[in-house]
Amino acid sequence: MAAPTGGTEGVGMPDPIHQFDIHRIIPIKIFGWDASFTNSSLFMVIAAVLTVGFIMVSMSGRSLVPGRMQSMSEVAYEFIANMMRDAIGEGWQKYFPFVFTLFIFIFVLNMLGMIPGFFTVTSHIAVTAALAVLVFVSVIIIGFAANGLHFLKLFVPEGVPAAILPLVVVIEIISFLSRPLSHSIRLFANMLAGHITLKVFGGFVVMLLGAGGAVSALAPLPIVAAVALTSLEVLVAFLQAYVFTMLTCMYLNDALHPGH
Amino acid sequence: MSGPADDRGSGGDRKSPDDKAAFEARLSDLEGKLGKVRAQRGNAQQSETDAKMRGRGMAYGMRMATEFVAAIIVGGLIGWALDRWLGTTPWVFLGFFLLGCVAGVLNLMRAYERMRKEMAAETGGRIGTKLPDDEED
Repeated sequence: MAAPTGGTEGVGMPDPIHQFDIHRIIPIKIFGWDASFTNSSLFMVIAAVLTVGFIMVSMSGRSLVPGRMQSMSEVAYEFIANMMRDAIGEGWQKYFPFVFTLFIFIFVLNMLGMIPGFFTVTSHIAVTAALAVLVFVSVIIIGFAANGLHFLKLFVPEGVPAAILPLVVVIEIISFLSRPLSHSIRLFANMLAGHITLKVFGGFVVMLLGAGGAVSALAPLPIVAAVALTSLEVLVAFLQAYVFTMLTCMYLNDALHPGH
Repeated sequence: MSGPADDRGSGGDRKSPDDKAAFEARLSDLEGKLGKVRAQRGNAQQSETDAKMRGRGMAYGMRMATEFVAAIIVGGLIGWALDRWLGTTPWVFLGFFLLGCVAGVLNLMRAYERMRKEMAAETGGRIGTKLPDDEED
């Protein structure tokens, strides 16, 4: 994504992984744990400030007939509200702040990553796994809070013969535990793969130009590919934020209505 | 192209056969052009939905792959941990690995069911058949 960093030779392939480097901006140590403020943290703060700032500014008018900015905020609200209404049904309002925050945060982080030279926070599994575990733990807590021990019905499908029930329960538990894993890997892998691909195509341009002579005439070709990929990546950035949120809604639905 | 099309009704039969032939030629020419434009527009729409579907397809493929693999990894890890705890290497691991595979298939089936519902809601249940490319879809 970023302008190719340029190898030491100037002709070699720029390192496509370099963009994911994390470096400390303000080193902080808490009881021996490294809790430094890194470039990753910086972009998370930027995303949070952007989001809160935008919504506050756009909604400050509170006009009945929304202007352009207010429309954008309202469209985002409607989008998530409709998704939750469909996926969760009754009682979705309670969890709206959580899901809305999750969606906007991931979406803004993905989109910030699309800007050349910016860091893509969601391309690190540590971040996506933290978000997925947050959802996982919340779902368990919400499930027990809403349904008590009935929540455990999630692991006991109806109409299964008693003989194979223990086996089925174990399988259901494994399936349940695999949720945070697939939840986090999907977002992280999509962002990582997309950004590496873009970077590799950017690297081809540099290599072709560096080769000199007639070969340099081919340099525009990877640029065309990179442009096409960028539009695809913008789509993926939105889609993955959407999928992450959608799955959160489904898990919430499972927690609120176990047993089917 | 040169003349407006609305002189067709008024002057159709008063014209000489020569004029008529020229008019017919122009008409068929116009029809050919219209057809070409229509085909182009259709193609553009087609490729747009194609691109959208490709993005969607990649997302779905990724989703299926992770659903399957995640369950196997979790099953394997549980088995491995139990083995270390009970000292029964490798039997519990093997059992849970298989259970993980089963759970993976279960995940796949559920993900597929959800996907099918989503698609059905979008296309009105016409899955697997090619949508007729009328203007209002």
